[in-house]
Amino acid sequence: MIQFSQVTKRYPGGHEALSGVNLAIEKGELVFLTGHSGAGKSTLLKLIAAIERPTSGMVSVSGQNVGRLPQRAIPYLRRNIGLIFQDHKLLFDRNVIENVVLPLDIAGLDRRESLKRARAVIDKVGLLKREKANPVSLSGGEQQRLCIARALVSRPALLLADEPTGNLDAGYAADIMTMFRDFHQVGTTLVIATHDDRAITVLGGRTLQLDHGKIGEAAA
Amino acid sequence: MIGWLRHQKHALAAALRRLGAHPVATLLTALAMGVAISLPGGLYLGLGHLDRLAGDLPAQPEISIFLDAEASNAQKQAIAVRLKQPDIAEARYVPKDVALAALSEAQDLTDITAGLTQNPLPDAWVARPHTASREELARIAAELGKLQGVAETHLDSQWAERLQAALAIGRTGVWLLAGLFAIALVAISGNAIRAQVLARRDEILVSRLIGATDRYIRRPFLYVGALQGLLGGLAAGGVLAVVGTLLRAPVEHLAGLYGSVFHLLPPSAIEIVAVLGLTTLFGWLGAWLSVTRALHQVEAAR
Repeated sequence: MIQFSQVTKRYPGGHEALSGVNLAIEKGELVFLTGHSGAGKSTLLKLIAAIERPTSGMVSVSGQNVGRLPQRAIPYLRRNIGLIFQDHKLLFDRNVIENVVLPLDIAGLDRRESLKRARAVIDKVGLLKREKANPVSLSGGEQQRLCIARALVSRPALLLADEPTGNLDAGYAADIMTMFRDFHQVGTTLVIATHDDRAITVLGGRTLQLDHGKIGEAAA
Repeated sequence: MIGWLRHQKHALAAALRRLGAHPVATLLTALAMGVAISLPGGLYLGLGHLDRLAGDLPAQPEISIFLDAEASNAQKQAIAVRLKQPDIAEARYVPKDVALAALSEAQDLTDITAGLTQNPLPDAWVARPHTASREELARIAAELGKLQGVAETHLDSQWAERLQAALAIGRTGVWLLAGLFAIALVAISGNAIRAQVLARRDEILVSRLIGATDRYIRRPFLYVGALQGLLGGLAAGGVLAVVGTLLRAPVEHLAGLYGSVFHLLPPSAIEIVAVLGLTTLFGWLGAWLSVTRALHQVEAAR
């Protein structure tokens, strides 16, 4: 599903975040990206979602050469990818359900159908009682679950999560990892950047170790 | 197609919410636009009224031929014969007594004319030539002026022509002014939208990350611009209605002094629709320019 061949990403200023990375992730796989901070985990996820373009090499997602995708095609790529951010990127000018419904609005779905689907996803992440609340009033763990709900609502085949449990205490983190395992079991491809080793041992799956922009595989 | 309509509906609803969320800013922008539009709009209406006033006057050019007080009967006869030539469509003799009576009646000068010991007016002919060309008219007037017994000829169309020429300058001025204020409208709208785009930076960035096209992001802003333009047009209508109400009594008073009945008329439905359509269009255009530019900035600053 995802393929990197000889991918190098150099940021303006000369910092090389990824150097000659090769990797392949199959459909339905659960993959952890680990490594010290600054090892290139976030950059790798951004290249998959075409948030950044590779300096050289080829990134392909579902057979599409993402690095060469024209600007106007990128939104349609992103609609098939659920993005989960460490800083949540929620909108605080609207309530919980309006945050979750946004991807469906963007896709142009019928409003009533959208709200029904949004409510179902909010229920799944355990926030149904807070659907009218402003995200500001949610705890860190609840905000992260809201971010996950928004990533899931359009039923993407691929979920990318950047440090999803980074700011959370152990109990919340375990909840969220359990949720990821459920998605994995229904066939969603997951790529999770984390340095939470406990989660990796609990969930299993493949681990890709990044070290100064180079990749090494470690058996989990 | 249904998806497209749904997007339009969402965008329109979002635009109305955004305008409603900041009523004071919305009203101030509408007022700024309204004042800007009311200047060329008011001038246009004023010129229309002057045009109408000029239109009530005889458009048919006439030549007045004033006879010398000492003209002999033979000379008068010769003049009458000349005015039966085919280049004159109609000629009418106005003896000085009739002229004086008409003057005192029309201008309500009975008191003054009654006190005159002698009629100061000359006998006259009023001739209407077939031609309307200015050179021909001038030639005929000059020829008649050279006849024996004619004191003076006067081409009555001259002042009407001058008025028409002045009005033509005025009309050109209105269009130039309208063009300038259209640019002002685009600028006002663009500025208001730019501030809104920057205020919604986070929403734009997040929307992009979850698959929003630029068109999707731009759409509500375009609706805001168009609606703001429409409100500006309506505000201009309000400004002109107030101005018209305030001017009505003085204008009618002035017209009364000239012995005329003259009313200020509101613009026609077509003119109103055209102005509202144009202000909506220019509001949209300002929003488009501004949002396209601001989106590039948001992208670059990411």
